[in-house]
Amino acid sequence: MSEQFKPNIVAFLCNWCTYAGADLAGTSRMQYPANVHIIRVMCTGRINPLFVVNAFQQGADGVIISGCHPGDCHYMEGNFYARRRFTMLREMLEYVGVEPERFHMSWVSASEGAKWKDVVEEAVESAQKVGPFDQFRRNKINW
Amino acid sequence: MVDLEKLRTVAKETVSRDDVKYLIGWRQGTYGFRVSPHFMKEPEEAEKLIFSPLCSNNLATYLTSVEKLPVPRGEEPDTRKVALMVKGCDSRAVVQQIVEQGIKREDVIIIGCPCDGIVDLNKVKEKFPNVLELVQARWNNGNVVFQLPEGEKEVPREEVLADKCLTCRYPNPVEADVMLWEEVKTRGSDEYADIKEMEVKDVQEKKSYWQDKFSTCIRCYSCRNVCPMCYCEDCILDRLNPNWIFRSVNATENMAFHLTRAFHLAGRCIECGECERVCPVDIPLMKLNRKLYKETREIFDYEPGLDLESKPLLASYRPDDQEDFIL
Repeated sequence: MSEQFKPNIVAFLCNWCTYAGADLAGTSRMQYPANVHIIRVMCTGRINPLFVVNAFQQGADGVIISGCHPGDCHYMEGNFYARRRFTMLREMLEYVGVEPERFHMSWVSASEGAKWKDVVEEAVESAQKVGPFDQFRRNKINW
Repeated sequence: MVDLEKLRTVAKETVSRDDVKYLIGWRQGTYGFRVSPHFMKEPEEAEKLIFSPLCSNNLATYLTSVEKLPVPRGEEPDTRKVALMVKGCDSRAVVQQIVEQGIKREDVIIIGCPCDGIVDLNKVKEKFPNVLELVQARWNNGNVVFQLPEGEKEVPREEVLADKCLTCRYPNPVEADVMLWEEVKTRGSDEYADIKEMEVKDVQEKKSYWQDKFSTCIRCYSCRNVCPMCYCEDCILDRLNPNWIFRSVNATENMAFHLTRAFHLAGRCIECGECERVCPVDIPLMKLNRKLYKETREIFDYEPGLDLESKPLLASYRPDDQEDFIL
């Protein structure tokens, strides 16, 4: 009997909104999948698209990027830049054969602990659907 | 059409100016269909300059690849201008470099050469194999006439021109100080047929296609070196700390390298096709670049390298940008 596949999800969260939102989900004792590894950054505008590629290389099966709602950015406009950037990245990843189910982006504010739970559940579910990801993985030479 | 006399007179006049360092143009290569870049410093060298369907090099890349040595104490920095011959696509590269403040507008003299399309050497070699003698070429009504050892031969443009030229929408320089001859008419339109064909394929099919292509990459970085838009002084591919992309040549690092290279050109690539031309293992790099170009056009209604006043795509935003994939 094979166990259900447990995907590795890496989440890049903005310090001001989603990180606080995830904290709220925790303090409110919400249950959500434990597969997510959170990396806190100061703003979604700080996330280099290379972070995403690198996460995949180091064994992530899915990536979540989450920050403040447009207009709520602590630094005024960081998430607007991030939105453009990751729109392009998503198109490119899909084009080279990465399932779009592996890349998620969301706006979660500090008061939306429940929404964060939904985002993680959705990310885990869709990563489970497409299975392990080894196209980019480093320690596996897949010629 | 192409007026070599005018080209040489303008070149001579430009180089004779006191505030001009040198002029970058094209000259005959050493064998076959080859053409080399020429750095012209003396007016007497004007006779060497040519412009023909064989001038494939995008000379805009030489504007930013100059080594910036420290100025010795007591000496003034050299502020003289560089004159540059551009085709339509090259001029867009120059404009985009100016928009990104890689160079200053007043530091370049742009000499525009409206161009009817450049040949693809691979297609030519297939048609005329083993030609070692120098060959000249010219346009005739959009078709290309080669002066081969056995005599002149006219070939329809569809058979020899590079793919990027068959779909070219900007054959005339968008920005020029001197326009050498009258503008040519735009013959191409771009429907992105090859990209759309690729997009609708199955994920597994795309995956194996790109894996197959990227696995042949030998990481020579020619595509980066020749690219007029890749001019960071500190390139992420050369950086060892942090070492984002390992130098080992294997499937995963090649994938990361190509994604990084393509993404760094998102909203900046001006479709000159140089990367694909110089690739020694014939990876269809333009297929990846053009995908990003297509999205830039369709999603953000933006085209790089057309307007000196515009802002770079990823360094600007509109509050109402689309976000249908964001939860």
